[in-house]
Amino acid sequence: MEDLNAGPYATRRADAGSGVADAVVHEVARLLRRLAVDPDFADVIDLRSLPMADADRASLRQRLGDGEIDAALNLAGLTRIRDTAYSGVWWARHADADNRCVLEQIIVARVPELLMAHLADIDAAAVRLSLELSRAQGKPEHA
Amino acid sequence: MPEAMLLGDLLRQMGISRRAFLKYASYMASLMALPPSVAGVMADGLAKARRQAVIWLSLQECTGCTESLTRSFSPSLEDLIFDFISLDYHHTLQAASGEAAEAARRQSMRENRGKYLVVVDGSVPTADGGVYSVIAGRTNMDMLAETVEHAAAVIAVGTCASFGGLPQADPNPTGAVAITKLVSGKPVINIPGCPPMPQAMAGTITHFLSFGTLPELDALQRPRAFFGETIHDRCYRRSFYERGMFAKSFDDEGARQGWCLYELGCKGPVTYNACASLKWNGGVSFPIQSGHGCIGCSEPRFWDRGGLYRPLSAGTTDVGKVIGIAAAAGAALGAGAAALARQRRASTSAKEA
Repeated sequence: MEDLNAGPYATRRADAGSGVADAVVHEVARLLRRLAVDPDFADVIDLRSLPMADADRASLRQRLGDGEIDAALNLAGLTRIRDTAYSGVWWARHADADNRCVLEQIIVARVPELLMAHLADIDAAAVRLSLELSRAQGKPEHA
Repeated sequence: MPEAMLLGDLLRQMGISRRAFLKYASYMASLMALPPSVAGVMADGLAKARRQAVIWLSLQECTGCTESLTRSFSPSLEDLIFDFISLDYHHTLQAASGEAAEAARRQSMRENRGKYLVVVDGSVPTADGGVYSVIAGRTNMDMLAETVEHAAAVIAVGTCASFGGLPQADPNPTGAVAITKLVSGKPVINIPGCPPMPQAMAGTITHFLSFGTLPELDALQRPRAFFGETIHDRCYRRSFYERGMFAKSFDDEGARQGWCLYELGCKGPVTYNACASLKWNGGVSFPIQSGHGCIGCSEPRFWDRGGLYRPLSAGTTDVGKVIGIAAAAGAALGAGAAALARQRRASTSAKEA
């Protein structure tokens, strides 16, 4: 299939950075200072909502760099959450089942909420595991 | 009964964790231009909601709206909306037919009285007693009146249901009207488009489920999150418009260079929709990116506005009266279109105030 994002129908808009990346880095720095004094603080920047050219996005990604963690979550499509060179700053890319990016975010938090197990899921898991043990030991099942 | 369970518990049994809710809510919040911090609240709201009973009436329509909403989805994130609702009646999609189908509709109305959503695609013929479209021996007018009576809200999907659409085009032989002409005393949300964007439909229902309220609407009762800007506002060819660089035919050098399609009849400057930002077919493209101007399908009376290939500068039956157009091109017309857009925003604000 022809790539509609290339060739004669592609935008001829200049792909040079517009300066949005600079503004985002300043915003990240502000949020990170808040996290430094309040460990419970968390905030998210929705990159999709910003008028960013590809060059802006690449510049931003480069400036934030890579950290130690690269988490892949299979949630109705792949989500990758990577920490950046700045501890507490995370880059999240959410894709659908066809690996099309549907959302990109910068998360400022000790741990992104998406990585934490939810209490309701933990409750259900505890019940399931107890049942599994009961079955394995031949005991009557109980919740 | 599964319908009585909370969505969070129900979907967990299907292997869908709260993380998936949070991802879905983050995506929807972004689509609807809500603050990212709302995603957690939205996910919690969804998890605590129950499956929403939906009765879908297909009236004087072509089934394009249903096709848009079902076939455009690959197995993807948006599919989750189908786990959030209980589609109790949809005569194109349901397995039951005849008396059994109608019994399912009446049962859902009875069991979910005051809580169910009615989705309607297609206009309603009213001429000659409404005989031009009949389902199960009953006119569309009759079935609509009965079904919406105890509904929580009505969502008019597609331009036919929202504004009358193609069936209402001159000379409108069947007396087709929009849903808002026949439904009163209920919230009615219009999601126009021929077909409408599936994200707008999913976003509206998700908002209702999560917060128990309908999203903010514009003067034409469209969700502002998806219809708050014109196609022109977000068009990637706009830079050519600003510089007065227009394709003169569909095969000239300007067209090949991706110049603005304004002079080829593009209605982007007066059309409110999200095609230019969300795009179609999983974000692949939208009409302008494929080389054809916007036909303005999410606006009232788009079929009767002087022709799909006639530039706005040549005047249209509706818009021309407002803009007072001569054969001006480029920036001059842009000012007229912008004035129209401002006027609409002003009237919206006045209505809301």
